Amino acid sequence: MSAPDGISLSGVCKTFRGRGKIVEALRDVTLSCPNGSFTAIIGPSGCGKSTVMRIALGLESADSGEVQIAGTVPMQAAKAGKTGVAFQDAALLPWRSVRRNIEVPLEVLGRSAATVTAHIQNMINLVGLKGYENALPGELSGGMRQRVAIARALVTHPQILFMDEPFGALDQILRRQMNLELQRIWTETGSTALLVTHGIDEAVFLADRVVVMHANPGRIVDVIDIGFDRPRAPALFSDTAFHKVCDHIAEVLHGG
Amino acid sequence: MAVENSGRWRGLRTAAVLLAIWEIVGRLDLVAGGALPGISEILIRLWVDWGDYPRHIWATLYASTIGFVIGNALGIGAGVIFALSPTTLRLFRGVNIAAFALPPIAIAPILVLTLSGMAPRIALAALGVYFVTMTATVIGLSQADSRATDVIRAYGGTRWDILRRVQFRGALPSILAGLRVAAPNAVLGAILAEFGGGGRWGLGAYLLGSLGRGEPDRLWGIGLVATVIAGLSYAVFALLANRTIGATRAVTLNTAVPDATPLVTHPAKQIALTLVTIALPFLVWWTFIKVTGVPDLISKTPLGVVDYIFFGPTAESAQKRLLAALAETLPITFLGMAAGLGFAFLLAISSRLFPRAIEAFMPVALVTQTMPLVALTPLLVLILGRGTTLTLWVTISVTFFPAFVTLAQGLALVPRSAEDLPRAYGAGRWTEMRMVTIPASLPYLFAATRLTVPRALLGVMIAEWLATGKGLGNLLNQSRGFLDYGMIWTVAAVSVLLSVLFYQAVVIVERRVLRRLGMATAE
Ligand SMILES: Nc1ncnc2c1ncn2[C@@H]1O[C@H](COP(=O)(O)OP(=O)(O)OP(=O)(O)O)[C@@H](O)[C@H]1O
Ligand SMILES: [Mg+2]
Repeated sequence: MSAPDGISLSGVCKTFRGRGKIVEALRDVTLSCPNGSFTAIIGPSGCGKSTVMRIALGLESADSGEVQIAGTVPMQAAKAGKTGVAFQDAALLPWRSVRRNIEVPLEVLGRSAATVTAHIQNMINLVGLKGYENALPGELSGGMRQRVAIARALVTHPQILFMDEPFGALDQILRRQMNLELQRIWTETGSTALLVTHGIDEAVFLADRVVVMHANPGRIVDVIDIGFDRPRAPALFSDTAFHKVCDHIAEVLHGG
Repeated sequence: MAVENSGRWRGLRTAAVLLAIWEIVGRLDLVAGGALPGISEILIRLWVDWGDYPRHIWATLYASTIGFVIGNALGIGAGVIFALSPTTLRLFRGVNIAAFALPPIAIAPILVLTLSGMAPRIALAALGVYFVTMTATVIGLSQADSRATDVIRAYGGTRWDILRRVQFRGALPSILAGLRVAAPNAVLGAILAEFGGGGRWGLGAYLLGSLGRGEPDRLWGIGLVATVIAGLSYAVFALLANRTIGATRAVTLNTAVPDATPLVTHPAKQIALTLVTIALPFLVWWTFIKVTGVPDLISKTPLGVVDYIFFGPTAESAQKRLLAALAETLPITFLGMAAGLGFAFLLAISSRLFPRAIEAFMPVALVTQTMPLVALTPLLVLILGRGTTLTLWVTISVTFFPAFVTLAQGLALVPRSAEDLPRAYGAGRWTEMRMVTIPASLPYLFAATRLTVPRALLGVMIAEWLATGKGLGNLLNQSRGFLDYGMIWTVAAVSVLLSVLFYQAVVIVERRVLRRLGMATAE
């Protein structure tokens, strides 16, 4: 028997009721990400991408359906330190320095940060924030804050990595760089990754499969396999085959 | 930075000019035949009397410090519980409103009857602190960034992890700002209890004892010392707050009693919840009496008061006296409050027209926030005599300053861009005021009204008690003399009830109006 899927959602429905308005955020969402795979979710704003991720993380409960993370319920996987997450907005604690913010997951999980200082420094270097270890979030730019969030997501060596538009506030050049870095880290760690993004090219470049969602109600309309060889080089961005896949996804996205 | 400095200089200049005017007017005995002595005369008298002060100051400091500690422990503890459990917050809403709205002078005699020694002063100081700190804690904790709490939860953090790592630290600025406002409140509470308590030591007792002697310079000296103590206590926490968090300005207290919609939707449960909310303050009252164990003759339970005022042998005369007192007290309370609010509103509104003049006045208004204004009533007695004018002026002065500060600080939050829009279409200042400034100030006008309700009643009752011999305040003082315990409890209960009812009335009107206008309640 093979190991359980990294992320598995089946028949998940979620409706938000608030102040007279009812939003059917997710209808019958079924998605499974095999161990070690890279999945990207793409879709219009408000279609429920963040909600899928929050349910998979156990931050939100589904109205119906099954959710399993590494074979257990989400909260249990989280408590075991199997998951890492970078949120849509960086969500840093404003009174903690960059380094101390990156230590938060370790503290919550009851792991000692003192024994892994070198590792933390590596993470800081990786996201290009060397020299900003002691800066407070208020002193950083939006893109720098997002990079802290990415370092924080990676610091626990997560088996499952959730990322909600982690590169949203980065410029195009830095974004490409971070895409490459992310690919490298993901290859090295062999983790299962779920990336929510608005960038079609980013999704195609990084993912094994691109999940396309539509809104009202939020649902999955198509799952497209991306077959390019790994490791993928920056040259891929200007490849014709690459562009054909991107165009196809754009069509699906616009209801074609 | 430069702007701030020039503002500070202008504030200093205003203060210097005011002091100079005071000195000249005082030296020439221009006010009420010398009722207002010059600054130098007051200071000289203070120097002469200095031997009396240490014991009085010590007594007041002792009571207010212990009250401050107890009140804050209760306030923070309750705040944490309320923030964790919306249902508890909802249940205690009645108790919290009562704690905010009760005029301290009304319950001072009750505390003196049921507690002994320093306890009444400590209790009143603690009461003055509890509400401010509790509100600040609830708001601070519940304003925690939900994104930050998500991070903790995403790593399997418990409720305690969230509280410890995100909420407490995040609430710190709010709590410190609360302590800053609470500190002078503790001093005021202690002084008020001294007015009503009849002890020998304490600044309030000293003030009361010197009232009959016709020595304005001494009275002013005591008032000055009380003000300095309250001001220093504010300054200490202001400094602490600035050290920890940088500048976060909140000089006024938040007058919105935190409200929570509990997760109960069943109508029957809702009704039960409301009933418990209303019953709880009375239960607290009843428990207080049972715990203190004072005999029934002296202490009255809620039922005891009902019995006294409706069924007792003296019920008829008691009702008559109570109604007569209310007829004297209520009109002047409303009048004073309306006048105080009106002045504050006009001044705050025009601050948009004459920003420089107001900027100069603002430091003075801020200083008054830490002054135990009502403790200065004896000074106003000297100037204005013992007539109705006195009551009116005390009421206006205790309502005007906090209302003005609330309004002015609220208006300062109106974004410039909102004003630029009408201006861009060529609107004059008055059009701009009608379209932007006045609507924008409405939430703060309501907040100021909520804030001034209990203060107005407090001001009127103190003036009546100490000077005019009319109304509820006088009835309370007389009943003390006649050992009419039933009436003491009745007056206290009625004044608290009135305060709460009026507060609730303002809240209801506020919600209606602001909802119609699509605005949020100001905090
Ligand atoms: N806590 C909530 N209460 C009520 N409605 C919510 C809540 N969270 C999300 N929604 C609604 O659910 C829908 C999906 O929201 P979600 O945040 O998942 O969108 P998204 O796909 O991540 O959008 P974006 O790309 O803009 O981040 C939206 O219509 C949103 O209004
Ligand atoms: Mg989102």
